[in-house]
Amino acid sequence: MTGAAALQRWWPWVPLLVLVLLPVGIRETFYLDLLMTTFMYAAITLGWDIMGGYAGYVSLGTVGFYGLGSYAGALLLLRFNIPVFVSAPFIGVLCSLVGAGLGWIALRTRAAAFVIVTLTFTSIVQLLALNLKGLTNGSSGLYMPLLTLPNNLILLPFYYYMLALLVFAYFVSRAIRGSKFGLGLIAIREEEEKAEGLGVDTSLYKILAFAISVFFACVAGALRAQYLNYVDPDIAFDLFITLSPIVMALVGGRGTLIGPLLGAFLVQPLSQYLVFLLPSSVAGQLHLVALGVVLLLVVLFMPDGIVNAYRSARAGGSGWRGRRQTAPPAEAAP
Amino acid sequence: MTRADGAAPALPAGTLEARDVYRSFGGVTALAGCSLRVEPGTITGLIGPNGSGKTTLFNCITGFYQVDQGQVTFGGVPIQGRRPNEIVHMGVVRTFQVTRIFRGMSVLENMIVPLRQQTLKTLFRPAIGGHEQERAEHLLEFFGIVQLRTHLAGSLSFGQQKLLELASALMVGPKLVMLDEPAGGLNPIMIERMAGYIHELNQQGTTFCIVEHNMDLVMQFCDPVFVLHRGQTIASGPPSIIREDPLVLDAYLGD
Ligand SMILES: Nc1ncnc2c1ncn2[C@@H]1O[C@H](COP(=O)(O)OP(=O)(O)OP(=O)(O)O)[C@@H](O)[C@H]1O
Ligand SMILES: [Mg+2]
Repeated sequence: MTGAAALQRWWPWVPLLVLVLLPVGIRETFYLDLLMTTFMYAAITLGWDIMGGYAGYVSLGTVGFYGLGSYAGALLLLRFNIPVFVSAPFIGVLCSLVGAGLGWIALRTRAAAFVIVTLTFTSIVQLLALNLKGLTNGSSGLYMPLLTLPNNLILLPFYYYMLALLVFAYFVSRAIRGSKFGLGLIAIREEEEKAEGLGVDTSLYKILAFAISVFFACVAGALRAQYLNYVDPDIAFDLFITLSPIVMALVGGRGTLIGPLLGAFLVQPLSQYLVFLLPSSVAGQLHLVALGVVLLLVVLFMPDGIVNAYRSARAGGSGWRGRRQTAPPAEAAP
Repeated sequence: MTRADGAAPALPAGTLEARDVYRSFGGVTALAGCSLRVEPGTITGLIGPNGSGKTTLFNCITGFYQVDQGQVTFGGVPIQGRRPNEIVHMGVVRTFQVTRIFRGMSVLENMIVPLRQQTLKTLFRPAIGGHEQERAEHLLEFFGIVQLRTHLAGSLSFGQQKLLELASALMVGPKLVMLDEPAGGLNPIMIERMAGYIHELNQQGTTFCIVEHNMDLVMQFCDPVFVLHRGQTIASGPPSIIREDPLVLDAYLGD
């Protein structure tokens, strides 16, 4: 292995090590909370990008799955006494099945139905959360017991769990990118009919990709509910959870491995900082406006996101359609 | 010229038969009871004036359109109503009149997208590497574009893109390859090259069905030839007969 190849392979472990060790030095809740939220968004964005970036199908249903995860986590804890830390991965798998079902409805055609179905799904889940009062307590929400940990440590399990989710999302995304499946998804984004004409079962690919992509939002939702010790329809179905990952993916670069990470680590701290600066009475609305402005700027000046802009600047190529991270060229194969 | 081993058909040969196929779009009748028969081992030509329904027939055969009426069989098995990818896995692959490749991928990646058959195991294999890559490079070598394998497909010349489209279609190991105007838009030298490849592949056992407006090419390489006019098959037979057929001359001159 050459030095460059080794660097390519091992560099992700460096920032990871830093993030793992960070809580030793940093104890301020503000920063740890910010980092944890960033991990959460990064994981959700990596997931969203499997569908929205690789396959090119934009989902507006992220918060539907996040909310589903939140309620599932809360209910499993309250009704069956299963700790969220235990149930979260299973909730994720369950949501993937729901995602597959939804995909089966919406993804067997090439129509724009997908966007609408994902949006409708979110509304339906939210309506259920609001109206199945016996189960969800309606708009009053559900209170969950606190973890029994000293106050100064209570953040840490969430910090590491979210970090683990992020690492998992990274490796899933990386594995897909390097596989025949991932190549098929990109083929769908570029020329769906052509892909079909070359033997690719495009429906299956899309359904599978969507099922995988919603896993992360679901797990994140479950964890977040326990972190806040509370869930209600407003919190669980915050539009931000749908919009932020899209903005983050666009900022960083859709359809790349690093783009979603970069986007989350840039946008989330920035937008938290904004909230911190503004009086709380207007922070909510301005926050949304700021996100919109960021999105507008990106679309105007860097439509392919940072990673793709950087790559095409280096390769003299043509944006995200033009140059992506690919498997090493043939010569590099052993 | 090297042998295109990668293109060797994986399945036993079969006859493609389209019988009395109808297809209309709103008020426009594109196919009005046309028929086509492609015997294994042939290069069958499909000609006809603009708008006579050639591409529509291709689309009906390869699952991109549903037929309103009529039958399409391959090797005796009905294929109408199946999805394009299923038809590919039965051994019939097509190219498009307007060249379609994955422009943002490398040439080699274009060759890896095609699936011979679909199993979950193949799905999660690494994209590049192993036997498949060897096969891909072999085919690219056959078409004389292997040196471009790491290039972006969209950066290739028009002619090279057409070669790539054909090469990637061969990756599925087809029995029958349907080409919609393989020489369309090519310069004379490139046309000759393309014709040479098709001839060579045919010698090696691949069956072709070709839509083409270049009559010299059709008369030289295709036998039999089917003629479409206003969605109907008005003639079929060896090129020498077709050339003299008054109905055919009428169709071309009358429009
Ligand atoms: N998707 C469609 N929607 C509406 N009309 C269509 C469609 N596809 C084909 N047609 C019509 O069907 C007729 C046959 O078209 P087709 O493309 O099959 O002709 P063709 O023989 O391939 O012509 P050319 O030699 O110009 O490629 C035309 O009148 C065309 O306008
Ligand atoms: Mg045509």
